[in-house]
Amino acid sequence: MTNLPPKFTGPGSPQDVPPQPGDLGVDPYNLPPPIREELLKPDPVALDTSARELEDGANHCPKCAGTDIRQKPGTDLLICAFCRHEWQGQRVEEEFGLGVGQDRLEGTIMASGARDIAADEAVLRTYKCTACGAEVTINTESEMTARCHWCRNVFGVNQQVPNGAVPDAVLPFHVKKDDAVARIRQFVDKRRFFALKAFKEEFTPENVIPVYLPYMIVDGNATANVAGKGEIETRRYTRGEGNNKRTYYDADVYQVDRHIDFTVDDLPLESSRERANLDTGHNTNNIINTIQPFDTKNAVKWNASYLRGCSSEKRDLDVEQMKPRLADELLSIARARVESSVNRYGRGVRWEQEGLTVHGSRWVSMYLPVWLYSYLEQGSGMLHYIAVNGRTGETMGSVPIQQWKLILVSLTVGSFLESIALWIVAHSS
Amino acid sequence: MSDDSGLALLLLGPAGGVGLYWALYRYYRNTDKSHAFERETKVDAKPVTGSDLKVGTNNGTRDSEIQGNNVSEYRKRVGRIRNDSG
Repeated sequence: MTNLPPKFTGPGSPQDVPPQPGDLGVDPYNLPPPIREELLKPDPVALDTSARELEDGANHCPKCAGTDIRQKPGTDLLICAFCRHEWQGQRVEEEFGLGVGQDRLEGTIMASGARDIAADEAVLRTYKCTACGAEVTINTESEMTARCHWCRNVFGVNQQVPNGAVPDAVLPFHVKKDDAVARIRQFVDKRRFFALKAFKEEFTPENVIPVYLPYMIVDGNATANVAGKGEIETRRYTRGEGNNKRTYYDADVYQVDRHIDFTVDDLPLESSRERANLDTGHNTNNIINTIQPFDTKNAVKWNASYLRGCSSEKRDLDVEQMKPRLADELLSIARARVESSVNRYGRGVRWEQEGLTVHGSRWVSMYLPVWLYSYLEQGSGMLHYIAVNGRTGETMGSVPIQQWKLILVSLTVGSFLESIALWIVAHSS
Repeated sequence: MSDDSGLALLLLGPAGGVGLYWALYRYYRNTDKSHAFERETKVDAKPVTGSDLKVGTNNGTRDSEIQGNNVSEYRKRVGRIRNDSG
């Protein structure tokens, strides 16, 4: 059952979804050969974002061919540590035409980095150093660059291996570490009084780490229908006398149907099974979800040099597994959009049915930058995150609570209010 | 003072205590926060179309709004229309 998409209870809502496309309910091997062949054909890769010039794993400086390349802090520029030459990565928005044509999307279009993950693909990749011939192993679970231990030549995983580790694009960090530390400190300083004592004692925001987290950036073209009942107040009156005075309402009931055609541009979805689970009863992934949006329009074509010194998480969800989540968010967007069209129903609307047709969607796999500070609460085992958006600096966090302190203060305040209430009741009767 | 308002006053203590607990809990833990994709995603929509048909009346009710009003609860899913392909 490991192929089931993650539950996203909590801020995202649970839902029933139609069967996944491609789920036929029959074994294609029992079907006649022509049909079987058709069903078993691989899905087309519509956009090829792989960088052939980087396939040998060595990212060369265009000027001196050096390989010691890293991101210039706070910019989208790459800089060669040898000759100090600087250059700009290509924006995928223009390079692959991602910003246009949402209204003409049909079917499921996947960029090459968003392809299905091959189950047998290893996370440990071995590369032959192009400079000295030594073999260097990179664990793509958490890192995308390595230095040859013999000749100090720098390697990057630039080839699009089908293990989910290499995306189509990357959005480089702009917020620097000092800034991220200051933001986390400021965030926690506003939440100290009821914070867990151990958390306060061990609080060292300097331990924040830069992480590239995997997302799918989705463009979609959809139609939604919603149906329900709406009420308009026609009369309001009171009955009874004195203390038994009651307000009554008369209302007209309407059957309300709404239809909306819309396109979305750059909707971000978590493509890591663990991060996509937003169940706030068990984890604090909603914190990382909250610091969105990112300026994904400025993402540049994948180049492992941007990840020097950063940690990264590998994508482990395929597009088909993420479609229910997309449908859920598109329906939510549609419901938000039709709200202004039912303003005349002063007593509100009860939506009873909703439907969605996704005409087309375009999926691009992307690494987005997050400064992450984490604290493991002993006892409950809850991992609390404080996250800073690596582009906008938006900060959100979960600070563990000293429960007895909070309960004691709440009881004290409650008792104080109750004593006032008792005094009023005693003196008015 | 009526019995109703007396009872409401007596609930002030427990309600205040629980309310304070929840407000502070959420302020520290931020369990109610998530990405507001409904507002923060670029959406191009054609004008909303649809129909409104009067089907009856609801007279003499004491509710100030329709039962099950979910017009602002975008993320609470309701029954799905069968022939969709979401």
